[in-house]
Amino acid sequence: MSVNRWLATGNFYESYKQEQRIFSTHCERAVFIVFIVALFLWPLLIKTSNTALLVLDEIMIAIIAIIGLNLVTGFAGLISIGHAAFVGIGAYTLAATSRVLGDQHVLLTHAWPLMIFLSGTAGAVFGAFVGLPAIRLKHLYLAIATLSFQMIFQWTINFMSFFNQGQTIPIARVYCFTGMVSRKDHYLFWYYTILIIVVVCGFCVRNLLRTRYGRCLVAVRDNDRAADAMGMHPGLTKVYAFSLSGFFAGIAGALHAYLYRGAGLDSFTLHHSITYLAMAIVGGLGTLAGSFFGPTAIKALDLQVEQLSEWTSVFLPAAMNLATALKPLAFGLVIVLFLIFEPRGIANWWRIIKSYIKLWPFKY
Amino acid sequence: MKFKAPFIIILSTILSLFLLAGCGQKQESGQEQGQRSAAKAHTYKIGLSLAITGSTSDAGNPYSKGVEDYINYANEMKFLGDDKIKCMIRDDQYKNDVTKRNFEDFLSAGIIFYLNYSTGSTLALKRDFEEERIPVIPASFHAGNLIDSNYIFLPIVSYSSQAIGLSEYIVNNHKGVNPKTAMFIHPSAFGRGPVEDVKKAVAAGLTMDIIEVVEHGRDLDNTAMLKRLISKKVQYVICNTVQSPVATLLNDAQRLGISADEFGQEDKITFFGVHYTGGNDLIALAGTSAENFFWTTSYRLTNEESAGASAQLEIAQKYGRDSKTANSHNYTNGIMAAQIAVETIRRAKAKGLEINRSNLYNELTAMNGFNAYYPLTTVGPVTFSSQDHAGVDTQIIYQVQNGVFRSICNPFESTYTGKLK
Repeated sequence: MSVNRWLATGNFYESYKQEQRIFSTHCERAVFIVFIVALFLWPLLIKTSNTALLVLDEIMIAIIAIIGLNLVTGFAGLISIGHAAFVGIGAYTLAATSRVLGDQHVLLTHAWPLMIFLSGTAGAVFGAFVGLPAIRLKHLYLAIATLSFQMIFQWTINFMSFFNQGQTIPIARVYCFTGMVSRKDHYLFWYYTILIIVVVCGFCVRNLLRTRYGRCLVAVRDNDRAADAMGMHPGLTKVYAFSLSGFFAGIAGALHAYLYRGAGLDSFTLHHSITYLAMAIVGGLGTLAGSFFGPTAIKALDLQVEQLSEWTSVFLPAAMNLATALKPLAFGLVIVLFLIFEPRGIANWWRIIKSYIKLWPFKY
Repeated sequence: MKFKAPFIIILSTILSLFLLAGCGQKQESGQEQGQRSAAKAHTYKIGLSLAITGSTSDAGNPYSKGVEDYINYANEMKFLGDDKIKCMIRDDQYKNDVTKRNFEDFLSAGIIFYLNYSTGSTLALKRDFEEERIPVIPASFHAGNLIDSNYIFLPIVSYSSQAIGLSEYIVNNHKGVNPKTAMFIHPSAFGRGPVEDVKKAVAAGLTMDIIEVVEHGRDLDNTAMLKRLISKKVQYVICNTVQSPVATLLNDAQRLGISADEFGQEDKITFFGVHYTGGNDLIALAGTSAENFFWTTSYRLTNEESAGASAQLEIAQKYGRDSKTANSHNYTNGIMAAQIAVETIRRAKAKGLEINRSNLYNELTAMNGFNAYYPLTTVGPVTFSSQDHAGVDTQIIYQVQNGVFRSICNPFESTYTGKLK
């Protein structure tokens, strides 16, 4: 490594430890700190509408869910088409508590950090259970197993009266140090809460990938027989990949339920699972940065196409319902374009940009 | 740094399209702002979030046009003097998350009245309506909307009351012992809502046997189900779903030769449906199979002469709507929601009250007795009170005769709905 860690223009690692640093230069660390500080400060400086905060909260919740999906699909190479169901498990852990103890129960309103953690744990338990077939199944067969879980989840919620047959089960407002979080502060409160959780989750995963458990995931993805020969346990690795993925999904689900003050089935359908996969692909499978870029890009695209559909619905004939087709069309087109032209996702652009800045003014 | 040229070109094209769309909207809102600042009169804002695209947009599209046209009509006819109503209409694609976002957006814009659409989103946002204390009229007539709610008002009788009303019609006109009935419902709160209430009416003395409740999926064939119902001697099927599953059901029944040619024909099935099952769209979908289908709603139809029908067609013509939209009962439904909102604001204004949510809520709950509202498009007056949040209490039954819905009875109030209250 160069002596000057601020102005390093290349990779001069002398040890494995150096290569595994979270920030390779001080510049990177400084930019990251400034960015995080800006994320915390801007709502205090700029007047923001609840709608904008709601959208940002949604994006950050999706980021947590995609971090989980990236662990199982990106790093461990196990395709999961039931990720929305794991997110739903988190949300319905809160909903079930609300049904049993009442939505105003102190556990839900005051001990909400604990409930978020418990929801994550419930997601992890279900993840481990669904991950069991991964010991025997691979590729498409595993995809079908996860798809089955999605279907079973939807059927159970839709037909069990305990879960209100899929209709929203309400959850009361939470309390913080200053008392009950009012409607006025609701979205801002959850903005900060989710932001903290996103940062913590990001660091956890970044660190996990630096440990042997993280490297196990990648090894099993690249060649599970070779990993086995090297003394790793592919079966166990696959199960804990699903379990970890379920944990992050469960946390995302709990946050979704708290943000929307209720859990309803229509936020955890197969369509959402496909959307999560698309976010992971567009962001960049197998990269932590991709877990941040994917949800942001897809949600932004969603909002733009929503506006475009609404705008075009005025001109296009209603009978043909062409405006309805715009959203799936744009969604499908983006995925196909990324798969063809940039299979490594937006994270690769980020890598290229970083490398360009690092080497500037030299081209190589 | 090496980017792929074709990818960049395609991406830039898409982005440019989005930017153009955004610019178009911005320009429009700028013009509106100019107009607003030029006018001295008040502009009251109301919001409508509904499925203009996506699932159920076949109902949502004419509904939104009904609201839009009536608001424009009220502004042009100066129902509120120089004051105007601005109705912000947003597409939610039948997704609760998007409805929530739209609602928050409307609140930021300062709405005083809100029009919602689906059962799911109405139930999901119920607590928000309570906290915001904003009067809400949904397009969903689910009776559950009114439970633990002070601010939701149904424009017409609930699905439950409609289903009970149809059950009463069956019981009153059936010859022989207890009529054997089945219910064919949408697999959601919207579809399931009336089942328990009809069962309660039966328990309260309505002499009818409910043999089976069928939740339909996305079946393209109902042969097995229809044969099972026939084997159980079911004579009547009450549907509470949307038009396309009913059309499939009616087509299958005709193919199997089990559609009744007249009410209560033996060894055949007579089909009934509540508000969202019927209308001209059903006839378009089911064709001759729709013949003899019984349908209930609280609206007057444009194929029968009435002052309401003429007024509706006049408004549709004025704003250049096609025949399908002009004659749609969902267009009527949209007009109705807008009518109630406009009338409430008009009454508050006439009393010299400040036009805010609280005063509008008070006006709505005072809409009864001599203050009842008589829109032309319904079969009865709109009456609300602090205890009664269902508007039009009467309903009418139509039957498809020679490819057209014809009324077969006078407007009536369901007896057992009153008893169950």
